[in-house]
Amino acid sequence: MRISKVWLLAGALLAVLVLAAGCSLGDDDDNGNGEAAGDTGQAEAGGGGGGGNLLAEVQDRGTLRCGVNDAVPGFGFQDEAGEFQGFDIDFCRAVAAAVLGDPEAVEFRPLTAEQRFTALQGREVDVLIRNTTWTSSRDGTEGARFLYTTFYDGQGMMVREDSGYESLEDMDGETICVLSGTTTELNLESRMQALGVNYEPLAFEDNEPLQEAFVQERCGAWTSDKSQLAGVRSNFPEDQGGPESLVILDETMSKEPLGPVVRDGDDTWADAVNWAVIATVQAEEFGITSENIDEQLESEDPEIQRFLGQPVEGEPFDSGLGLPADFAVQVIRAVGNYGEIYDRNVGEGSALELPRDFNALWTDGGLHQAPPYR
Amino acid sequence: MLRFVGQAVFLAAVLGVLLYLLDNVVYNLERLGIPTGFDYLDQSAGFAIPDSDFRSSQSLLDALLVGVQNTVKVSLIGIVLATVLGVVIGVARLSTNWLVRRAAAAYVELFRNVPVLIIIIFFWLGIFLRLPPITRATEILDLVVLSNRGLVIPWFEKEGSGAAFGLVALAGLVLAVVVWVWRTRRFDRTGQPHHRFLWAGGVLVAMLAVGFFATGRPWVITTPERGELATAGGFRLAPEYAALLLGLTIYTASHIAEIVRGSILAVSRGQSEAANAVGLSDFQRLRFVVLPQAFRISIPPVANQYLNLVKNSSLGVAVSYYEVTKITQVSISQRAPAVQAILVLMGIYLVFSLSIAAVTNLINRRLTLKGR
Repeated sequence: MRISKVWLLAGALLAVLVLAAGCSLGDDDDNGNGEAAGDTGQAEAGGGGGGGNLLAEVQDRGTLRCGVNDAVPGFGFQDEAGEFQGFDIDFCRAVAAAVLGDPEAVEFRPLTAEQRFTALQGREVDVLIRNTTWTSSRDGTEGARFLYTTFYDGQGMMVREDSGYESLEDMDGETICVLSGTTTELNLESRMQALGVNYEPLAFEDNEPLQEAFVQERCGAWTSDKSQLAGVRSNFPEDQGGPESLVILDETMSKEPLGPVVRDGDDTWADAVNWAVIATVQAEEFGITSENIDEQLESEDPEIQRFLGQPVEGEPFDSGLGLPADFAVQVIRAVGNYGEIYDRNVGEGSALELPRDFNALWTDGGLHQAPPYR
Repeated sequence: MLRFVGQAVFLAAVLGVLLYLLDNVVYNLERLGIPTGFDYLDQSAGFAIPDSDFRSSQSLLDALLVGVQNTVKVSLIGIVLATVLGVVIGVARLSTNWLVRRAAAAYVELFRNVPVLIIIIFFWLGIFLRLPPITRATEILDLVVLSNRGLVIPWFEKEGSGAAFGLVALAGLVLAVVVWVWRTRRFDRTGQPHHRFLWAGGVLVAMLAVGFFATGRPWVITTPERGELATAGGFRLAPEYAALLLGLTIYTASHIAEIVRGSILAVSRGQSEAANAVGLSDFQRLRFVVLPQAFRISIPPVANQYLNLVKNSSLGVAVSYYEVTKITQVSISQRAPAVQAILVLMGIYLVFSLSIAAVTNLINRRLTLKGR
């Protein structure tokens, strides 16, 4: 009797252990295989498809699935009505307008930073436009293809206006708040080391305690990506002085090129998305806006006529991208040119009030230059 | 016989499963190209640690050691403070004074029933961050500067080598112990009051004073000077450290108070009555009859609380205090392999806990009633 009880207990324990082990092993394998499957999945899509067919698939489906952020003011967020708004969101609409002729035919998929590449690999989204920095390892190991950089971001420093700081060199002895576990933390340290400036870092896991520490002047400065700082600044509570009480220093401590990402191996789709985005920049170079587009259609300039898909010498120009001839018109009607998108969401016309800086056209000293459309 | 076979099989099964899991981890790490060794500890850290001489070019191992120091700093002082506070509150709970008794009970019920994490965050967010900012810091007599960047008090600063002074101090300590033993023996022999604490302490202080001047004043006292953003000189108590220390102390004290109360109640009533009968005062009764016996009972559970305090110090993460868990977390997000880093962290806490257990077991063995 007693022995059988012992055996029963041992058996039960063993069963539980094996079960637990099995579960955890199963998880491990799932994760591992998940990534492996993603990789091979891309390889197959690339090799077997011979150029891929996502463009046809999206046009068949009639909607574009766009992976986005829903928590960064100005770039990707949901307004009070639950509508997605922002800089990145507008580029989703631009792609939908170019490919489908309808900027509303987008299904937005909010993704976290961890989920984004898995979702892309797992074919859950057609394109990822979610303030994602282009890095070599992401390009190399995530099976991702980075397209035209829509936003040149960089790490910045936000201080109180009354602190009188104008550059990082002024900040000797200051306490600086930073989000821990980010490249920001390392950039801060190496930059301050290089400048020989003494500072005290105060690193937090989340934005909430960080903001509290900053509000209470526990730290005199806050460093993060400039676009994010601008978002925080625009929402800074009025009883603390509001946005006007804060300034973001001109200095940029790192480079963070952000842009749309697609899966490796489907060049037709990549080209289509890329040129839909580039069209907004080209439009700004030509001075075409959502308001003057109808006049511009009548333009005598052959370059503009070619760009807008108007017949030149009888035939509309075919770039062979697989996009409708008038895709640029659709894009500009839907979201406007790059400058309009910028101003509306993050620039002078928005709460963020980010200056164009690097994001100006090359003719204005910025980095944006559309490859020739011919 | 069958029973042993059963146990053997069971043990083998458990070991087998563990081995399998380990093998699985190593296999998967290698497959993903993640390093499985501990070489990462030699990498340079790249991040800075506040309130330390640590430089970001030093290795991750050095960073971890700074973390260990910080954990020890908060745990040891926390243990001392929690013990003192806990004993006071525990005794107060048994006071005959209604107000004292009730206040102590309220304290225990309040802090014992709130998660320690919440207490720590409350102290940080609700109290220390609300102190005036550095630009409007409170200064007391030019000696103390109080702001939400910390409390700065006058402190010693080493000037030149302190080695000679260290030797004198060590000699003084040894001498103090000798004097202590001598006074105790004399008391045992003659029954005359020993005053051993006064004697030993006096010897130590005298030695330190003589040594200080004899070795050319190796320490000077610096008072804080308030700059625009920070203070120079003096010793700074950072708000993050203070919040963690206070949270751990107050929470653990509420548990120790309950243990002390229970231990005192566990001392038989006859002992107190006997003490009263021979005419001891209330204080003498506590000091010489009740507390020594209660102390003995309370050692194992109090040791448990010490272990908890050390482990809870990992909550410093929440208020950005750079103890060993925080350092590990930061290392992991800066490319240290997670599995190994967590293993090292577990090892460190294991060493902490086993050390405390060893010390308290030693004390426990010394103090257990020996059947004579």
